Parts: sequence; structure tokens; C-alpha cells
Amino acid sequence: MKKFGMTRRKFLAGAAVGSASLVASQYMSFDTWAAEKAVSDEVTVTPTLCDACGNWCAINVYTKGGRIWKATGNPIAGLNKGRICVKGHAMLHDVYNKDRIKSPLKRVGANKFEPISWEQAYKEVGAKLKEIVSKNGAESVFLVQYPEGNEALTKRFANALGSPNVFSHASTCFLPRNIGWWLNTGYAKPEQDLENARHVVFIGRNPAAGLQLRMLVDMAKAKDKGARYVVVDPRFSEMAAMGHQWIQIRPGTDLALLLSIAHVMIKENLYQKDFIEKYSVGFEEWASKIDEYTPRWASEKTTIPERVIVKLAHDMAEAAPSSLIHRGYHGAMGTQYKNSLQLVRAVGCINGLLGNYNQKGGMFNAPKVKLGKLAADKFPQVPELDMPMADGSGDPERYPLTPVGLGLSQAIPELALAGKLKAGFVYHNNPLRTCPNPARMIEGYRKLDLLVSFDYVLSETASLAHYILPESYYLERDDVVHTNHCYTSKQVAIRQAVIKPLYDTKPMVQILIELAPHCGIGEYFNFTLEEYNRAALAPLNIPLERLKKEGVIDLGDQWKPGEPKFVTPSGKLEIASSILKDLNLPEVPVWEEPLVSPNPKDPYEFRLIHGKQAHLTHARSINQKYLKEITALNDIARVWIHPERAKALGIKDGECMTITSPVGKGRARAKVTEGIHKDCVFLPSGYGVFAKNLQRAYGFGTSYNDYLPTYFDPVLGHVMANEVLVRVERTQS
Amino acid sequence: MPESAWGWLIVVYLFLAGSGSGAFLAAVYCDLLAPDWSKSLAKAGSLVAGPLVAIGTVCLVLDLEAGLWEPWRQVYLAKNLSSMIAWGVIILSGFIPVALLYAAALNEITFIGKIAKKYIRILEYVGSIMAVATATYTGVLIAVVNGVPFWNTPMMPILFLASAISTGLAAAMIVAAIIDITTIKTLSNFALGHVIFLAFEGLVLMLLVFMSLTRSTEAAISANMLISGVLSPYFWVLVVILGILIPFILSIIEYYEYGEMPKSLVIGSDLLVLIGGMSLRALIIFSASPPQII
Amino acid sequence: MPRYGIAIDTTKCIGCHSCRVACQNQNGLDYTETFNWIKDKERGKYPSYDKEYVPLQCNHCENAPCQRVCPTGATYTTPEGVVLVNKKTCVGCKYCMEACPYKMRIILHHEGIVVKCRFCIEMVREGGTPACVTTCPTQVRIFGDLDDPNSEISRFIAESGAEPLRTDLGTLPKIYYKRS
Repeated sequence: MKKFGMTRRKFLAGAAVGSASLVASQYMSFDTWAAEKAVSDEVTVTPTLCDACGNWCAINVYTKGGRIWKATGNPIAGLNKGRICVKGHAMLHDVYNKDRIKSPLKRVGANKFEPISWEQAYKEVGAKLKEIVSKNGAESVFLVQYPEGNEALTKRFANALGSPNVFSHASTCFLPRNIGWWLNTGYAKPEQDLENARHVVFIGRNPAAGLQLRMLVDMAKAKDKGARYVVVDPRFSEMAAMGHQWIQIRPGTDLALLLSIAHVMIKENLYQKDFIEKYSVGFEEWASKIDEYTPRWASEKTTIPERVIVKLAHDMAEAAPSSLIHRGYHGAMGTQYKNSLQLVRAVGCINGLLGNYNQKGGMFNAPKVKLGKLAADKFPQVPELDMPMADGSGDPERYPLTPVGLGLSQAIPELALAGKLKAGFVYHNNPLRTCPNPARMIEGYRKLDLLVSFDYVLSETASLAHYILPESYYLERDDVVHTNHCYTSKQVAIRQAVIKPLYDTKPMVQILIELAPHCGIGEYFNFTLEEYNRAALAPLNIPLERLKKEGVIDLGDQWKPGEPKFVTPSGKLEIASSILKDLNLPEVPVWEEPLVSPNPKDPYEFRLIHGKQAHLTHARSINQKYLKEITALNDIARVWIHPERAKALGIKDGECMTITSPVGKGRARAKVTEGIHKDCVFLPSGYGVFAKNLQRAYGFGTSYNDYLPTYFDPVLGHVMANEVLVRVERTQS
Repeated sequence: MPESAWGWLIVVYLFLAGSGSGAFLAAVYCDLLAPDWSKSLAKAGSLVAGPLVAIGTVCLVLDLEAGLWEPWRQVYLAKNLSSMIAWGVIILSGFIPVALLYAAALNEITFIGKIAKKYIRILEYVGSIMAVATATYTGVLIAVVNGVPFWNTPMMPILFLASAISTGLAAAMIVAAIIDITTIKTLSNFALGHVIFLAFEGLVLMLLVFMSLTRSTEAAISANMLISGVLSPYFWVLVVILGILIPFILSIIEYYEYGEMPKSLVIGSDLLVLIGGMSLRALIIFSASPPQII
Repeated sequence: MPRYGIAIDTTKCIGCHSCRVACQNQNGLDYTETFNWIKDKERGKYPSYDKEYVPLQCNHCENAPCQRVCPTGATYTTPEGVVLVNKKTCVGCKYCMEACPYKMRIILHHEGIVVKCRFCIEMVREGGTPACVTTCPTQVRIFGDLDDPNSEISRFIAESGAEPLRTDLGTLPKIYYKRS
């Protein structure tokens, strides 16, 4: 932490806080506003990383009189480029949330906890864990987490115990997107040069609500320079509000649209032949299979007029190679449909037809920083585990493409009920609310002999835990060195404590280091966080002190357009994937029907789709009063329904609807809007908290997971979250 | 966006300040023109005028926030003379003492009353001007607000003045009846006042409301709220029927029947005028609709 | 002396509300108190359906009705054209809230005074920009000197034809909107 007075100028120079940073003393003397008491308040500024979502933007956090006050964005940070989103500002306040856990807890009854000491918690968790491992083997232990930052160490913990069962949110979020891109290009998460792209198509991707600040900053700049944005979405998303054209599509049919775009481009010779010849394999196979995917065919599937499809293909081709289809996230290309993997494959291939790989305004791979490791002689390495996960991830017979370490978190209850999983650790994740079918999740998690949570509040999952070892809030803790800010250049960043912990909580790394000896794996955690971080920074020749002073350091190595590079088996863009061929799966992108389709004759039947809101992160931020107020004030937790469908059901705007699915029933008020496709209702995500201890959020709104049966996609195992038909009717009072 | 900042306290203030100044005017009228047979009404009117305006002013102060808890802030209240509140503060601080002094003079209360009696004509002329200013000012206060197009019309002060006189007369008549029930008969003479001012008030109100329908989109929203929207039951029943039409008819009957009407109906008619006057102000405040800005 | 204003490009606004909370933090406001609103406006039917997010805040009108009706003179205009409220002399009569045609003022009940957007004047005087401008992910707002024809804001207004909301109300607002 840094005192403002003496070192202010230095800080401004060094950390490039930017012209926007205010000077506290001037603020105080401004008599029309400043409260008298504030005059004596000392202001400090600490660079750190946000934790309001998974992006971890670089922020400079200000305190006033020892209390968290505000934050400004770090202008050099590749991820947020000086900006902070609504959650980043609001979650600062959550350090003072009354619902926080104040010490280690032991569950003594249903939703009843008693505070215990860290020592007792470690001892009891360690003893129980050892007992379970000796009885059922280490494979009966699992960890489920949001894999960010401290991931290397949590994984080390599970692997040191001997368990490969490290789950994440992947199967409910991005799994097909990553695997699809990896099959196409060898990179799971290619970037896009949005600052220079002239034509961008968003397929079920809404970066204006599934926020990544750098994308928005770049797109806003590019829009001023004339870039054109086309948003393909069943509903008028926030991105559509910023876009030039909204193409309303029947949910689940994006693949048909893309196949017909490929059809037009190939038939009309609108693709970049040089690129295809030099840098791709399988073009001929694809071209030979694409005859049937005419715009007319796609028009029937998608409900998009034929001429709109043809025009879109022409527009895209005209702007090539500074023309791209966004790489997607959770939307249509994420874990939402049975055909999501095919869709991502098609997106990758059409970007190839546009020849945009590693071109200005095209797709590229962010330069990566290689961090150092702890010296093997002093710090024993954990032996590599070469086995599939209990859910079949990495198992050649079951989900060969699903990586070990990501896993299918919706499988955990099934495995627990079958007795295959006995003990679980939950870190920075809340599977009971983020996985489908909560009733079944609860049933499974209840079956565990040991459940340990590291949560900072009593979330749904933490409420079921036997022990809670509370991690300090992100403003109170130091974490490992981070490389997420690499975008167009190499960057390292670090999170550090802005204030001392308010309660008896600890940084996650410290908890792991202290817990490990009690679990019999102390030898693998014989280091301190500082040693770990210094080792990580060693190859970069950056002192830890400098990183802590500046928050983010740019290491240069700016990305420049050039020769396309792929790390696939062929070393080229794999329009025909050899990996898929070996698995007897369609080699090139072909049409695949969605799992379900609403009956057009049934006025009550809809597909239930969902999506993010810019001010909420999953269901974990609706307990924050500043964020909940945004929902309440603007009445935006309502479920969207098309006016014609609503009229047929006698539902008026604002009225309550009952939504029923095979696994759940709930209520939501209607937002009757032209901005949604007739086939579906749209449920904004971020609501439906059922953890009683989250007092502000409890019982507010409903979640799409309440209606979603537990599915496993046959190829990847993801949840197929939009493949659910619901019955919607006017609530009878 | 907060759409309405003022509530019941301001409504009560507008009503009491209006009826208080109306009562003062009624008292002066009686004392000047018919001092022999309308003494009781003059006395009653003078007695209620000051207290009504004073209580109203208390409501206005209670509606202040920082100015209420830190009363010394109120010294700034008349600093900006382009504000109608500043003028209101000046007018009220002049009118309340004059009205109280007049009550003392007319009723010969204490030695102050006796002294003041010597200057009763001055008190009547100056007080009348201030009473008209007070009643009119309550209308101007909201008529200058371009943040609410429905209010923003010169008809508003005219309406408020008319309503102030009828409610003031009603208040004075009720108090006169309380002091001396036998005066009921003589009060019938003043039913003509009700007939005239209620008719005028009704006319101005209808002009205001129906002209608002075409004046601007937002004024039309307010007017529609009153004519056919959420506030329409209150508007038609409380203001138009109970507050204007029925007292208007009763007053005509009273005037021609001269003293033959049941006492309860005479008093009831005056009570209805008061209810109507209060409802009128409430509905005008609560039907405020800001300009549509996007 | 500059004459400050903001130009808002609603075609870039995504309704994320970053401006709202950045401002709340900067000004120490509680969660229900705000100087910023975002209202959305839906138009038409698909395929010409459109939804516009319109960020709203005090317009710092040159001919400010709030200042005209303030009995205590607590509302005043700085030499830079920023309309401010003097916390020490405001009595909380709320006349200004009624008078503002844009309804951009709120009352802080715990302090008993009326407040509103201040263009973060203390940061601006230090050469910075208001918190809502700085944090906006899509750079919807441009802050600057309306009197300088070469400032970014003046050039933007000239090129885009941006106009204040409801110029017919005659208050001469200093927030300009580009809406299509």
C-alpha cells in the first residue's frame, strides 16, 4: 500500500494512473462539496486486479480514511485499457457486505454453522480427508473451481493428493468454443483485432453484456472509423444496440446460417483463395459437401430472409481480410446447443474463407508470457497424473476431447450418488447455482462425506459445506502473478491487498500452504507465496517489488500482422479435422439439428434461452446492493416474450408468467418486446439465488438452471443449456 | 429519475395558505360592506385567516429537510428574488402578522387589539393586498415551474385565487356557525359569494384541464390522468361533483330559500367546498408529469 | 475560461451502467442515490426494430431553471458553466427538483439537501475528466470545452449535428446527444 502524500508524483509517473486521477487535497478544499470530516481523511492508491468477474482487470484502488473508496482503470492494462465496468466499481463495496463469512466455519446442522479456529479446521479437514483417501482412494477426491489465477496451486493441491478430478465451470460456459477453435487452429482462444476490423459478425455473442472491456474499447474506436457490426441473435442484445444490423435468428440454427454463408462464398468465389490454398486443409471436402446448404435452405431453418443471408455473405467477403466472425464465448458457440461444436468449427473455417488469420483486422494469437517455476531441487514437483477424470473427461472411450482439468461439473452429483466421489473442495465457484437442475445438484452434494468451501459468503454451495475456510476478499489478499493481460503485447500483472483483512480470513495460497501438511502433502507446499511469485518472475527479470508498485508491466513484443500460424496436426487451418476423423465424427462442418425444437402448433411451448446482463456476474453479484438496484430500478429481470405470442396467451407487459419445464417450475414477470424471436423466451441470467444467507439476493428472480435437465452433449459432455422447452402461461392468481 | 419531489405537506400548505387568505378577504369584505348584520362572519373570518396561513407555513417549513434540522439555514430563504419561494417568504412574513393583528383588532383581543383597532382600515387595505398576493402566489409558485408543463400556465394563479376565496369563505362560514349557530340565517346572504366564485373556479378549472389536452404532450398526460386516468375518480367525485357542483347547487338553493335550508346542509355545503379545495390542490400536485425528454 | 459540456453518442451506448456506479463511488453516493440514469427507448418492429440507450445526467443548462427557482441561491453556476449546489446553504425545499424539466436532481434525505451531477469539477480543474466519461467502456461521452472550436467535443458536435435534448424548453443545456 502506498501513502498518497509523499509519493504521489512518483506514483503518477510510474504507474501511469493517467490524467484522470484526482488529487485528493484539491478535492478536499473544494468547499461546495467536500464534507468537512473528509479533510482529515488520508487517501491511498494501490494497483491491483479486480475480481468482479473472471477477467481480472487492472485497477488502481483508492481508499479514504482507511475505507475502500473508488477505483480507476489502469490505462496500460491490455485487458481493460483504462476502463472499469459497472461490476468492477460496485464489487468494491462488497468487502463491507454484512453477509461475509468472518472466520472458519464448521457446519453443525442444516444451514447452521459455528465458528472454529483455523488450526481446528485444518486438523479436522485433514483427518477426514486422509480417512476418505485411505478408504476410497485419492480418485474419490475432487476440486471444483473457477480456474483463474491461483489455479496452478489448487490443481497442484488436488494432483498432490493423487486426484485428477479438477473440475471447472467449462461445461456450463465455453467448452465447445475452446475445443472447436483448438481443432481448427490449435489455439483454444484466438483473439481478434477489433480495433482494425472493418466488418465483424457476432454469432450469439454479446460482448456488450458478457463484458470484456478491451473489446468494447477497441470496437468503439473502430466504429468511429467506420467499422460495421452485424449481430446475429434471437434477441436484440446490448451488442445489437451498438451494432449496425440485427439479424434475428431462430435459436439453435446459427450453424445453418454459417453453412449457407460458406455456400455463397464458395459458389460465388468470394473467398480468399490464396489463403485457403496455402494455409488450410480440407477445403475441397467441405466444398463438395456444401451444395445442399443454400440460402433458401438456411432461410427455412433460421427464419432469416434469403436475401439477408446473401447480402451478409457479400458484405463479409467485401471487407476481407479485415472482416471476421467473433470467436464467441458462452452464447451460441458456448455450451448452449448440441450443434455448438459444429458451429465453432464453421466459424473458424469461414474466418479462413475470409483469409483473416494473423491479418490486420483479423484473428490472431495473443503473445504469451512464459513464467518461471519453483526450482525443482528445493521444491519437489508433483508427479504427473496420467489418468482420465471420474466423469470421463480425457477418457478415449467417453469424452476424449474434453480436457482433464476442465471436466464436466454437472456430473459431480451423479458421481457422488454412485459413490465414486466422496470428498470435494469448492474454490471460487458455486456449482449448485451455476449447474443445471439444482434439486439434483443438492441431492448429490449432500451425499459427500466431506465438502470444503473457500467462499467469502454462504453461497448455495458453501451452505452445504462441512467446513468453510474463508478466503479473504480480493481487496484484502495477495495472489499469484498473472498473465491474463496479454493481448496485443506481453504483460504481467499481480493482485495485492489494498486493505488488511477485515475478518479472520486468509489468502487462498496461504490456506493451501497451511492445509497441505494436515492432508499429508506438506512437502509440495514448502514455499511461500512470495517465493512462488519471485520464481514466476525470475525469467522476466522483473523484481516483485516493481510489479507490486506498478500493478501491470508491459513487456512489449507487440503483435504484428504477418504469416498465419497454426498448431494443428497438419500445421494448417483444419477445415477437415484429422482429429475428428479419427474419432469417427464429421470431418468438416456439417449441419446438425438442435436437440429440441418447439412445436409450432403449441402456443404455450417455447425454447428457453438466457444470456448475461452487463452488471451481473452469474448469480454472485446480485447480492451486491449497487448492482441489484440497477436491476430493480430498470426492471430488467423480466423474461422477454414476443408480443404476438404474449397476446395469444393473454399476457400483458409486466404481468406474471408461470414457466414450467420437465425439472422445474417458476415465475417471472413478462417483458413484451419486439426484440425477441417468436420461438423463444429470454431469461436474463444472474438471478434465482436460493442461499438464504445471501440476504439481499435471496428469492429474487429465477435462473435458467432451474428449468434445465441435466444433459451431457454426446461428444463433449457440455450442458446444452438452451436445449430446453418450457411451457409458458399467464400466472393464475 | 425522481418524478415528483413534493407531497402532502406542500398540498396542505397550498390549501391552508389559500383558504386563510380567502377567509381574510371574506372578513374584510363583511366588515367594510355590511358591518352591521355580518359581524359574526367578519369575526370568524378574521379569526381563522392568520392561524390557517401560519399552520400552512409550518407545513412548508416541515417539508424542508436541511432547513428544518438546521433552522439557521432559513436565513438564506429570501436571498434569490427570482425564486417564487423567496417572494413567498416575504409575502407570508408580512401577511401572517397583519392577519393576526387584524383578528385581534376586530375581536378586540387584549390591549394590542385595542391599539390595532385604531388602524383597522389600514390593516384591512394592506392585509387585503397581501391576502390576494398570498393566494395568487400559491398558484404562481407552481405556474412558473417549466419542469411540469401542466402547471406552467397563467391560468393556475387565477384558479388558485378563485379557489382560495371560495374555501376561505367556507372556512369563515363554518367557524361563524360554530361561534354562533343562529347566524346561519344571515350566512345565507353569502351563499351568493359561493355561487359566483364556485362558478368561476369551475370555469377556470375546466379551461385549464381541457386546454391542457392540446397545450403539450406532457400537459395532456396530466389532464388525461385527471379526466380519464388513475386520478379521474378523485377528480370527478371529490373536486368536480362534491367540491364544486353540489355546493354550487346548494348555495343557489340556500340563497333563494333564505334561511329555510336545514343547518346541516348549509354547514355540509361549506365542508364540501373545503374538501374540494384540498382535493384540487392534491390532484394538481400529484398529476405533475415532467417533459418527455428522450 | 472554458465552458464545459459533454457530447453523448447514444449509438455506442450499451446500457451497462458503468457511468452510474463510477459516479456513485466518486461522489460517495449510496446505492439508491445517483446522478446518472440510462433510459432505453424501443422503436419499430423487426427488421427495423431498434433499441436505444440514452444516458442522462444534469444538463448544466445555461438558463438553468433550478438556479432561477432556488430561494437561497444555493444553486449557482461556476465560471466554467458548471451548475453546482452549495451544500451549506441548501435548505432542501426541493423547488429545484420540480423546476428541472429533465428531472436530474435528487434529494439526499440523510443530509437534507438536493444534489446532482457536478461534472466532477475538482478532477476537471486538475485536468482530468468526470468519472462517467473516464470509465465508459465504449467512450460514449466526450467531455470538453464548448467554446473552443478545435476541442474534440466541438468538432464532434459540428460533424455529427448532435443536439441537446428538448431544446424547445429553452434552458440551453450543455449536454449534446448524437442519436442516430
